[in-house]
Amino acid sequence: MKKVNILFVCGAGLGSSFACQMSAEDVLSKLGVNAKLDHSDISSAVSVKPDIIITAQNFKSQFEKFSVDPKQTTIVYLRNIVSKTEIEEKITPVLREKGVLA
Amino acid sequence: MSVVNFIIENILTQASVTIALIAMLGLILQKKSTGQVISGSLKTMLGFMVLSAGSSIIVGSLVYFGHIFTEGFHMQGIIPSIEAINGQAMNELGLGRDIALTFLAIFVFNIIIARFTKWKYIFLTGQAILWMATMTTVFGYFAGLRGVALILVGGFIGGVFAVAMPAIAQPFVRKITGMDDIALGHFCTVGYVFEAGVAKLVGGKGEKKKSVEDLKLPAQFEFLQDTYLSLMVVMTPLYIITAAFAGEKFASTLSGDTNYLMFAFLQSIQFVVGVYVLLAGVRLLLGEIVPAFRGIAMRLVPNAIPALDCPVLFPFSPNAVIVGFITTTIGSIIAMFVLPVFGLAMILPGMLTAFFAGGTAGIFGNLTGGIRGAIIGGVVHGFFITLLPALLVTTFNSMGFVNATATDVDTVTAALLYAWLIGPLLKAF
Repeated sequence: MKKVNILFVCGAGLGSSFACQMSAEDVLSKLGVNAKLDHSDISSAVSVKPDIIITAQNFKSQFEKFSVDPKQTTIVYLRNIVSKTEIEEKITPVLREKGVLA
Repeated sequence: MSVVNFIIENILTQASVTIALIAMLGLILQKKSTGQVISGSLKTMLGFMVLSAGSSIIVGSLVYFGHIFTEGFHMQGIIPSIEAINGQAMNELGLGRDIALTFLAIFVFNIIIARFTKWKYIFLTGQAILWMATMTTVFGYFAGLRGVALILVGGFIGGVFAVAMPAIAQPFVRKITGMDDIALGHFCTVGYVFEAGVAKLVGGKGEKKKSVEDLKLPAQFEFLQDTYLSLMVVMTPLYIITAAFAGEKFASTLSGDTNYLMFAFLQSIQFVVGVYVLLAGVRLLLGEIVPAFRGIAMRLVPNAIPALDCPVLFPFSPNAVIVGFITTTIGSIIAMFVLPVFGLAMILPGMLTAFFAGGTAGIFGNLTGGIRGAIIGGVVHGFFITLLPALLVTTFNSMGFVNATATDVDTVTAALLYAWLIGPLLKAF
């Protein structure tokens, strides 16, 4: 199965994106998805071109101003960035679409 | 014996090696594969060296800024930056190894306290623990502590803070998030609770209390959420105006062949570059240690609540973050002019902390006092978080730090504890 690239994003790319990544790691291993995870700040996020960007709701308006190719990168916005329930709920359809989850 | 001596003199004195060994220990305890242990330890070491490189960039830019500021305004301007303090302590003062070991000790004390008391908070914001370890080490060293005592006292005090601060913030966090699954692990908590208190006193009550979240804020402010961008927006005018005050004649002596204002502009960006590199180093450094620690702690402490970095709360109240950032900045600008009147140092607004601490404080203020509470509370919060670091400036200067003081009021509180209580006690005996 192909490996999916997921990038977690916050303002400084240090604290909350990392916390989100750790929560998502648990969800992904539960789902049995093989993924490459990393976290970064919003300025560098766009140049990374991952398969999925996971970030907090409050960054939505900024991401909308960036030119992100929706065919390449799907952006997932979370209200509670460490909630495993919310992550699972929002990420499952995206993973299906990307063909990494049956 | 010569082998032991070699290990002590050449390996453990290298802070980057010490911290890599700590990561290695965590990875081995987690029963990771040999490959993962090696790559994780090397990445941690790389992170530490990147952090040091970032620190020298910051110091270079700050030294320049110090010169033009002194010339331009005939007084010393201090930039509050815990990153700069950490970098200087690690490199120039040679406390890197002690800071790394204190960092580990805080983790350990945190687990012990959470295990045996009813406060089940596990502090997972690695960089905040690193700053706390920096402050307890620097001030412990200054108070006369050395070696094991320095590390254990720092670890204990840091460990107490790591449990107490999330516990103090939790009644508010519960209301903000509507659950009890996460806690706030960020060492600016004294300021948050302070703002919540002020907002409660002066803010709107009952019917009149309106939440900031009901407002539509102008879209132009949204870029401020981009940390490095907002840092540049503030540092650039600060440097250029200061260079203009210092005058072409003086500033040109520092700028070589480049125009003096252009040079100031480049140096201001250079400061942000330094912060960026330093935080990239921290990211590499913590990438392996934090998950290892999390795995260990969650197994040792049943029902542990992870205390996480403050932006975790931002999506719950995004408008309050912007209001908190702006009002805290205003408060710290007021403090910049007022404090020198009382004989304290002139502290320039520290933008990183104004954003993260200010933004979170705004959420607290909005919670207890609505719009009115968030605005007035924010300004008072800005003043408060500038006042505390100002009290440390004399000590920092006598220790040889360059134009910088700490931020993050909880770490400052810990430092004051050393300066006002532990230091005098040690001297008395």
